[in-house]
Amino acid sequence: MTPEHVITKPVVAAVAAHAARGVTGVVRLEPGVAGLVGSVARTARQRFKGLDPVPTEGVRVRVENQVWVEVDVVTSAVDQAVAVARAVQRAVSRAITDATGLPVAAVAVFVLDIELS
Amino acid sequence: MAMNETDQGYLLPCGRDVEAVWDRLDEIDAHELECPHCLGARESLRALRAATEEMAHDTEEPSRALFGRIMSAVRAEVRRGDVLPMPSDDAGPIHVSGRAIAAVLRFAADTVPGVRARHCEVVSRIDVIDVRMKLAVSYVNLSVDLVDVVRERVTAAAAARVGVRVDRLDITVEDLYDL
Repeated sequence: MTPEHVITKPVVAAVAAHAARGVTGVVRLEPGVAGLVGSVARTARQRFKGLDPVPTEGVRVRVENQVWVEVDVVTSAVDQAVAVARAVQRAVSRAITDATGLPVAAVAVFVLDIELS
Repeated sequence: MAMNETDQGYLLPCGRDVEAVWDRLDEIDAHELECPHCLGARESLRALRAATEEMAHDTEEPSRALFGRIMSAVRAEVRRGDVLPMPSDDAGPIHVSGRAIAAVLRFAADTVPGVRARHCEVVSRIDVIDVRMKLAVSYVNLSVDLVDVVRERVTAAAAARVGVRVDRLDITVEDLYDL
C-alpha cells in the first residue's frame, strides 16, 4: 500500500499567492469581499494557535487529481497587463508543481485593476 | 422637548453629584480629599477615562486600514462583474476588467493637450477590443488632426499597457470648452 499524503487547499493557495506576488508588474493580489472575510477568520484562528498566517487572499483553488487555480491581481500600467497575467500563470503553475508535486490543469488570471501611477 | 428631566444625575451618599466629580476630575477640593464616596467615584471615573482614551487611540489606525481593505474588496467585487476575455493560450484563461482598460484608455486620451476623455466603453471580441469614446475638446485646440492624435495614443496605450489590439475605435467629440 502506498503511503498517503494530503495537501490542503490553503497550502496550495498560499504557494500560488506567494508565486503570483513575486511576478514583476503585479502590484498586489485582490482579496474581494469573500477573501477578506475568510482571511480575517483564518488570521484570528491562526493567531489563536500562535502562528503567523500565510496570506492566501486573491487566490481560489480547486484540487482533485489536478489543480485548478484562479488568481485576482492588480497590475502596474508600466507593464502589459496580459503579459503580466501570462507570467503569473507560469510562475504559479511552476511553484505549485515544485512545492506539492500536483499537476496544474489551468491557472486563470483576472486583472481587476491596472494602476496608472 | 427636553431630553433630560433634571440636571441632577446620580447623587453620592455625601450629597455631591457624580457629574460634578466628573467635571472636576483633575482638580480636587478639601471635601473630596476626605470623603470616601467622592474618592471612590473619582477612582472609578479615572479608570473609565483611561480606558476610553486607550480604546479611542487603539482603534483609530487599524480601523482606517480595515476600512481601506473593505472598500478595495468592494471595488474588486464590482470589477469582477465586468471582466473581458483576453488573448490566452492553454495555460488558462486571462481576463482583464473592462473598467480598468477604460481607465487606461481615458488616461491616454487625456495626455493629448486640450482633450478631456469622458465616457469610454470597451467591448471584447476574440483577441481584439472595440472601443467607443466620447471627448470634450478645448476650442483652442480643436483641429482636424486632433482626433487622429487621440486615436494614435489610445491604440498605443491599449497595446503597451494592456497588451490587446484595438480593432475598432469610435470617437465622438461631444462637447467644447474654453469657448
